[in-house]
Amino acid sequence: MNAPMASGAGIYFDGVTSARHDVLVVLKPASLHISSRDGHLLGEWPYQELEELSAPANLLRLGRRNSTVLERLEISDPAFAAEIDARAALVDRTGALQRRQRLAVVGWTLGATASLLLVAWFGVPAIADRLTPLLPAAIERKLGDAVDVQIRGMLDSRRSGVPFDCGKATSETAGRAALDKIIRRLETAAALPFALRTDVVRRNEANAIALPGGQVYVFRGLIDKADNADEVAGVIAHEIGHVAHRDGTKAMLQGAGLSFLFGMLLGDFVGGGAVVVTAKVILQSSYTREAEAAADAYGAGLMNKAGGDARALAVILDKIGGATEPGMKILLNHPETKARVAAINKLAAGRASSPFLDPAEWTALKHICGS
Amino acid sequence: MSPHGTGPPEIPGRSCKIGRCGADVAQRSASHYPCSQMSLDAGGIATGGGVRFLGQRRSYWRLLIRGAMLLMLTLGIYRFWLATDVRRFLWSNSEIDGEPLEYTGTPLELLLGFLIAIAILIPVYAGIFLAALDLGLLGKISGVAGFAALAILGQYAIFRARRYRLTRTIYRGLRFHQEGSAWAYAFRAVAWWVVTALTIGLAYPFQMASLERYKMRNTYYGDLAGRFEASGLRLLLRGLPMWLLVFAPIVFAIVILVGTVDWLALAQVIAQGGDDVMSKIEGSNPALGAAIVFAMLMSGVSVTMAALLYPAFQAVTLRWWCSGLRFGPIEVRSQLRMRNVYGAYARFVGYALAFSVVMGIGAAIVLGTIGAVANIGKMTTASEIVATVAALIGYVITALGYSTIYRATVLLSLWQLGMESLQLSGLSVLEKVKATGQPSSAIGEGLADALNVGSY
Repeated sequence: MNAPMASGAGIYFDGVTSARHDVLVVLKPASLHISSRDGHLLGEWPYQELEELSAPANLLRLGRRNSTVLERLEISDPAFAAEIDARAALVDRTGALQRRQRLAVVGWTLGATASLLLVAWFGVPAIADRLTPLLPAAIERKLGDAVDVQIRGMLDSRRSGVPFDCGKATSETAGRAALDKIIRRLETAAALPFALRTDVVRRNEANAIALPGGQVYVFRGLIDKADNADEVAGVIAHEIGHVAHRDGTKAMLQGAGLSFLFGMLLGDFVGGGAVVVTAKVILQSSYTREAEAAADAYGAGLMNKAGGDARALAVILDKIGGATEPGMKILLNHPETKARVAAINKLAAGRASSPFLDPAEWTALKHICGS
Repeated sequence: MSPHGTGPPEIPGRSCKIGRCGADVAQRSASHYPCSQMSLDAGGIATGGGVRFLGQRRSYWRLLIRGAMLLMLTLGIYRFWLATDVRRFLWSNSEIDGEPLEYTGTPLELLLGFLIAIAILIPVYAGIFLAALDLGLLGKISGVAGFAALAILGQYAIFRARRYRLTRTIYRGLRFHQEGSAWAYAFRAVAWWVVTALTIGLAYPFQMASLERYKMRNTYYGDLAGRFEASGLRLLLRGLPMWLLVFAPIVFAIVILVGTVDWLALAQVIAQGGDDVMSKIEGSNPALGAAIVFAMLMSGVSVTMAALLYPAFQAVTLRWWCSGLRFGPIEVRSQLRMRNVYGAYARFVGYALAFSVVMGIGAAIVLGTIGAVANIGKMTTASEIVATVAALIGYVITALGYSTIYRATVLLSLWQLGMESLQLSGLSVLEKVKATGQPSSAIGEGLADALNVGSY
């Protein structure tokens, strides 16, 4: 050891007042001694209690581990600082300790991300599948009513004078009766534990939707596009599949689960929002693709059971879906039409079927929205 | 006067009896001079009041770029470590009366605060979600009530986070601390924000003054109580020209719009409805199109004005705020120059443009490659995922890049300029301030982080 370096100058704060003390620091074998200019001993710090604190690059700032007051000793002479560093195990000017901690953070978050993605891919739909049947029908109904208010608000374009629902006016009641006939036949075959509510609404898209709790909306655009009653019945059977599988409730639980997983635990950094939204969209698309395929299978089975023509569902899907589906497959919320058509046709019973409506009733259904 | 023209400011408060002082000053000056060359064009800013900023821009860049990379790798978890690094850098390089500040907070404290915040927020979010499903009155007001609850919670978090940061700030072996009720502050702050919104920003100076008074009179350095003495009226007078320049074009456009449009006819057409509403509106109001174009033009002028004047607004506010700070007999004056703040923004724009060019070239190369591959083979699900991930990474790099440039230019400069512009008086009290106060938990930081109201 270099004899002159056994002592050096420092600045000392006692942690009790803000007064600055210019001090002499003497390095003894087991501790460093801090004494004032007039030789008064101010402190005796064992080397193993020394800790290095954040300071500018050219300053060694020391504190005492487990001290109740914020005593500080500052050394600006780099050679003397190195002498102290060599004696104190916890003073680490190379930053190796910090680097190790950071590496651990990176490693563990990568692991956490992997497990998060696995939970999102497998766990969330599995949990939603298990939770949904536990939800009482009354609550699902209430949920459905809340969704109904929102959906109607979004879909209803409020054309002056005409109600959103078809089948209300006297000229439309025959169409309503025809619709009810289809529903009765399907409902008898499905034997659901609760009643369905099916309505035709004035929307030009060829589509139908099912809400939690058993409300089904058939858009008039779908009836316009259908060539016979079995095609309409096929689509309604598919929607009954969603109701029976409680897909609406399941989707809400899945959405909440994903929002929680991604929104809460991750992502509060610049640009993180986009990652979260994209991950959610892709995952939810994959959930709904599965739900659609299951509803197709249910719809085909229900058509068979009701003595209808399951192939009619395939026919109208082919018509709606069209030949090409633009956009990315991973963002598609239903399987590719070609695959759906093939799967449904495979399930269709070979035996002869009886049509859902006679020609007169079919004409009435065609005019359920007037004109 | 150069920033170091008055000599190292630590000399006045320090005696040199054991012969270390001279060598220390020489050594410190030697190691500080490279920093002063790195510092901004601080010409004209006197540091006679004893405040210096020693941080090297290059080390700050290094810290931020490494942090941004780790943020991306860890999907944001690293932000607690980055925030701590940033604060350590800013605090320990800010020297008041020859003595650098010290930040003693740790990343693990912040992480814990965040986890606690999540535990608090989950029931809050669940409650808001359930209320939204209610069909009655509760469901109708759930949106507004939820927003109000989160706004109050956000302000609560800001106050608690300030308490955390203050109690982790050590100067001369003494801790800062903050008293006062965070809920009282939160309600006061939200009420002020409502007033400010209703007066289109005219109440903002009084809001700032009132909230700062509340914060500062609950702030202590040891047993030295803080207070805030800047007047809201003075800030209003300084900011009023800017306010007029920003809002006059919009007001003018609205006046023109109201004057030219035949509102009765317009209302009739809209009430009639039908498929060709737009053409009917045009028929009833021939001047409407021109008026709307004019209004959009004026809005553009307003937005441009706001963007151009924002640095000036920041400079005025920062200078006003600094000049209002008091701790016992210690008074603060700021001589912040507006052109220096504009300089910081100019550097931001320069770096951002260069970064945009680099990112553009990079995106062209990546897109070209993906396009070529897609042309050769069919677009499969796997290649779609690759393309999506590539686009996401590109987006995140871009967003993080701009935010890093902003922090390394504007935010660092505001800190440095703010610090270097300070002139302190009454520092002799620093010989006898006594220690009080205890460290507080990081719940506020966690809440602020989870609610996106955090800063540094």
